[in-house]
Amino acid sequence: MFNPFNKQPNYSKIPQKKESLESLWRLTQILMENLEFEDVVYKVVNSLLSELGYLKSGYRIVVLSLIDEKMGGLRRIALSQTEEAARAKSVSTIPFEKIVIPFSATSNLGIKVLMTGKPDVTTYWPDILSPPLTPQAALTNQKNSGIQTSMVYPVSARGKPIGTLIFSMVKKYQDVTEEEKDLLSGFTDLIGLAVENSMLFTKLKNTTDQLQMANQQLKMLDKLKDDFVSIASHELRTPMAAIRSYVWMALHRSDIPLSQKLERYLYRTLVSTERLINLVSDMLNVSRIESGRIEINPKAFDIVALVKDVFEEVKAKAAEKSLQLLVLENHYPHVFGDADKIHQVLLNLIGNSMKFAYPGGTIAVSFFSDGKMMDISIKDEGCGIAKEDLSKLFHKFSRLDNSYTALSTSGGTGLGLYISKSLIELMHGKIWVQSEGVDKGSIFTFSLPVATKEVIDHANNFRIEAEGDAKPLESAPI
Amino acid sequence: MEDQGKRILIVEDDQFLREFYQELLQEEGYFIDVAPDGDIALNKAQNNNYDLILLDIMLPKKDGLQVLRDLKLKPAKTPNVTIVILTNLGQDTVIKECFNQGAQGYLIKSALNPDQVLAEVKTYLQKSAG
Repeated sequence: MFNPFNKQPNYSKIPQKKESLESLWRLTQILMENLEFEDVVYKVVNSLLSELGYLKSGYRIVVLSLIDEKMGGLRRIALSQTEEAARAKSVSTIPFEKIVIPFSATSNLGIKVLMTGKPDVTTYWPDILSPPLTPQAALTNQKNSGIQTSMVYPVSARGKPIGTLIFSMVKKYQDVTEEEKDLLSGFTDLIGLAVENSMLFTKLKNTTDQLQMANQQLKMLDKLKDDFVSIASHELRTPMAAIRSYVWMALHRSDIPLSQKLERYLYRTLVSTERLINLVSDMLNVSRIESGRIEINPKAFDIVALVKDVFEEVKAKAAEKSLQLLVLENHYPHVFGDADKIHQVLLNLIGNSMKFAYPGGTIAVSFFSDGKMMDISIKDEGCGIAKEDLSKLFHKFSRLDNSYTALSTSGGTGLGLYISKSLIELMHGKIWVQSEGVDKGSIFTFSLPVATKEVIDHANNFRIEAEGDAKPLESAPI
Repeated sequence: MEDQGKRILIVEDDQFLREFYQELLQEEGYFIDVAPDGDIALNKAQNNNYDLILLDIMLPKKDGLQVLRDLKLKPAKTPNVTIVILTNLGQDTVIKECFNQGAQGYLIKSALNPDQVLAEVKTYLQKSAG
């Protein structure tokens, strides 16, 4: 039935609506000042009474409860700091923060409101506190607080129920105006969003804190690991150096002639000890490369001269096997890289070639440049590599059936090529191998950028700072 | 051999290695003195004449670097005695620091065989004599 006169009182309500909007706006502002869950829920149960002036309208206690899946119920979260609330609390048989209303208690108004999504009201506190409180105890709480009426509102966020708000007052329900009820609905919507946001924020913050802490612990562990590796490797090397020294002495300085058998035993002990020592060095190097503790300090330099230096270093060893060392030189541009690291790579590759070359063979290093990159190839006429093994060579601890990395006799560690590959790649180069097969020799080639003007102008793109303390590589054994 | 009779102090905490280097160098005709820790090493260097000191870095009581630093404050009895680091620590930073503190050479124990150590010792002794 439409009665135009009924509209009349509506006009006088406009100022009230304006006040309502203002209240909502103020609540929004209050809630937005806080991000932490603890702060937000504190504000929710207190600001309504104090800052928004609801105390004057007879409101005395606001209680926020939230769904707690783990506890299987509606858990009390926050309570206003008013005299009435304190009085109810002081006689309660269960401490406020321990009160959880089980989902199964469908007669409890809190659970009912959650399920229906509609507000409800009571003047009888057992309706909102039992269980877990006995009706007797709930009544005691109510009497002591002096509350007459409690309105229970569902709180939801993004359409999902998350808890309830109980507004308790010292006046009768009849004295609650429609505007008050509307406003409380508006408040609960707002509060729902604010509470959920703060839960997300606090969760995120806790996660971030935990991640930061975990990260710090990882860093500490990493340093401990590093220190451990350094100390352990030093401690390992001391007895190994002693074994090596005494076996060497027995082989070379014995004052009685050794039987052939004994000499073979001692020789094998010596080779194995050397392998162990090399393994410790290589493992240290791998650990440094993989943890980013290697710095690359590139300069333009003459790679041909460096190859000659390395040949000079291995000359004596090559002579033992009557190996010929050849550098196929020409005028080549300088390359751009870290000479110390490339020195290490050359020692490794040339050392390998010498190991697998047949006595009397030749090891030749040749160069090729297309003006941008320089290829450096080390060719030997040794025992070669089976086709199926070519791709495995640069893996860590690659063990091939073929003799190329027959570790025990070669004294190799299975890490040298992996280290070389890692170093060359850090210097923007590539490394690869060619072999026609077993007994056909092999060619190891790595490439490096030519020190063109463009490269030198962008030298910083080639530089790598070490993460944490820079550690140099352990020297490669020849 | 003009090297014979030269005096060498070996500072090494590992007994087996210490005795190994002692035997190796004695057989070459050098006079060998030994020190198992930094304190004894410093004391001997300050009170006896040596032509060469082989100094380990990781040592009990006083590490090799500290020995070098202390020798700057109170020098060895032989002025400018040649000090060569003989160690297993192969780190650039440590090597640099040793040279800064007055070491003249650096040998890595596990990377050298005894013949090479002998050759190095001979070279350093000739350098210090010349």
